[in-house]
Amino acid sequence: MTPDARPASRDGRSENPPAAPPSDARDALRQLRRGIVVAWWGFFDWLAVVSWKKLVLVSILAMILAGIAKHPLPVLILVLGSVIVKVVAGGKRRAELKATEANQRAQTEQLERTVLEARMQALQAQIEPHFLFNTLASVDQLIQTDPPRASRMQRSLIRYLRSALPDLRQGRRATLGQQVDHCIAFLDIMAIRMEGRLQSDVRVPEGLKSAIFPSMMLPTLVENAIKHGLEPKAEGGRIEIGAEIADGQLAVHVTDNGMGFMPKSDAGVGLANIRERLEALYADRAELVIDVPAAGGTRATIRIPYEVAPA
Amino acid sequence: MPHAPAPVAVVADDERLMREQIVTQLQQAWPELVIAGEASNGREAVALAHSLDADIVFLDIRMPEMDGIQAAQALAGSVHVVFVTAYDEYAIKAFEQGAVDYLLKPAEPERVAITCERLRARLSRKPDSMDELLARLSQRLGAGGSKPRDYLRWVQASAGANLRMIPTSDILFFRAEDKYTRVQTPRFEALIRKPIKELVEQLDPQEFWQIHRATVVRVDAVEQVSRNFRGNQVVHVKGSDEKLEVSRSFSHLFKQM
Repeated sequence: MTPDARPASRDGRSENPPAAPPSDARDALRQLRRGIVVAWWGFFDWLAVVSWKKLVLVSILAMILAGIAKHPLPVLILVLGSVIVKVVAGGKRRAELKATEANQRAQTEQLERTVLEARMQALQAQIEPHFLFNTLASVDQLIQTDPPRASRMQRSLIRYLRSALPDLRQGRRATLGQQVDHCIAFLDIMAIRMEGRLQSDVRVPEGLKSAIFPSMMLPTLVENAIKHGLEPKAEGGRIEIGAEIADGQLAVHVTDNGMGFMPKSDAGVGLANIRERLEALYADRAELVIDVPAAGGTRATIRIPYEVAPA
Repeated sequence: MPHAPAPVAVVADDERLMREQIVTQLQQAWPELVIAGEASNGREAVALAHSLDADIVFLDIRMPEMDGIQAAQALAGSVHVVFVTAYDEYAIKAFEQGAVDYLLKPAEPERVAITCERLRARLSRKPDSMDELLARLSQRLGAGGSKPRDYLRWVQASAGANLRMIPTSDILFFRAEDKYTRVQTPRFEALIRKPIKELVEQLDPQEFWQIHRATVVRVDAVEQVSRNFRGNQVVHVKGSDEKLEVSRSFSHLFKQM
């Protein structure tokens, strides 16, 4: 652990000194001092960024007012002081303020880059090369031994790729139906490849297919279930996709009776990505819950606010 | 020329179509080769290779139970190994040292013929142990992600009637309560049976600090540390109003720099 990661405790801002009961007078004095300090720095910042023209105008105005009030000397000193401060320290302060602003801009740009990167990663995760090449090798084999099945598999692959591609275009929000189609194509392919080792059951009501659902999320859950739950299990198993509305929220489940979750495994970056994206999109109005069904295996549920895509 | 016994091979792949494919291609490229057994996972492959006294095994890399690399480790030195994979994510070619061959499926007949040629030449020799190659491959496989880590990444806890898997990154703190340990997240609390003492040993010490006999807090969730009226340090975490007292024996954790 690096030492600077330690939360500091005796920092004056985060802690009241336990000793010396403060008297009221001392408290008031401290308040006053703080007020003056804040006002001074406010004035200083203003002085640093204000244009000379404006400063001259304000100075003339202040001196006229002071002349009317017959007390021109303090104001004259203040104006002269301001000019000196602006000349001496203004440049440095301006540079500081500019640096802060540039820093904030850099952070925004960094965030944008991260988002772009995440999108690229999501795309890559969507069409896993291992899946693609294995499927193509299977198609090749079926062409020689069972052409009708080869054709079926190839058509499923086309549907799979087609439903993956709209995500590339920006501006359109992904729907649950689109992702269900993608998953059905994926499961059709895996069923041919895994043969008797994979059974699937997709029960998503027709009416919910137009619901907004963040892109990629359902395929990630389904592919996780196959990759970590069912493929590693010699006898295979069953996967179920379901969706319902409860308390105004859309809940989408993916359940498998596979290997179950390993407490020490990372489960890939898929689930962590979903969590982060839900947080970014919906803050605390959405969640990803992983639980263990009574029969074993894994159930992943995404809950988001129910929203219908514009037709 | 003395008549040598026909070489015996085992083919292992979890997908039947892929086994069928490699078997067909081998029969065409090397008609004398006897494919005595087919396995659908690494464990079966090892058992079959031993029981059939195989000379050659063709191993898919991703398989259930035991993957192709583990199977090769189990068979190293007694059988010639050829890896068969659809996507060469482990860059086997980069490791190729003559000890092992590999095929990308679907393999071109010319490429299968080359593999068979190499195998014929090698059959008279004792198979290589491939130690270094396999160690490096399994390292790559581990880097692929699904290998268990040393520390807990998920905690299985009962929340209501359900068993939930809670990622450790979601947890604010653990607190001992009677027979149970309470898991607090920003949204809910759950109970686990594991005592704090046992839990601490399984958590990543970079991620979680024990601050009290009964309390373990996730370092990143700490918002600030203050002192209470008795002068003890108190930890405030983001997302919870609960204040967690730091006992004297752990107060060094939050020493001022």
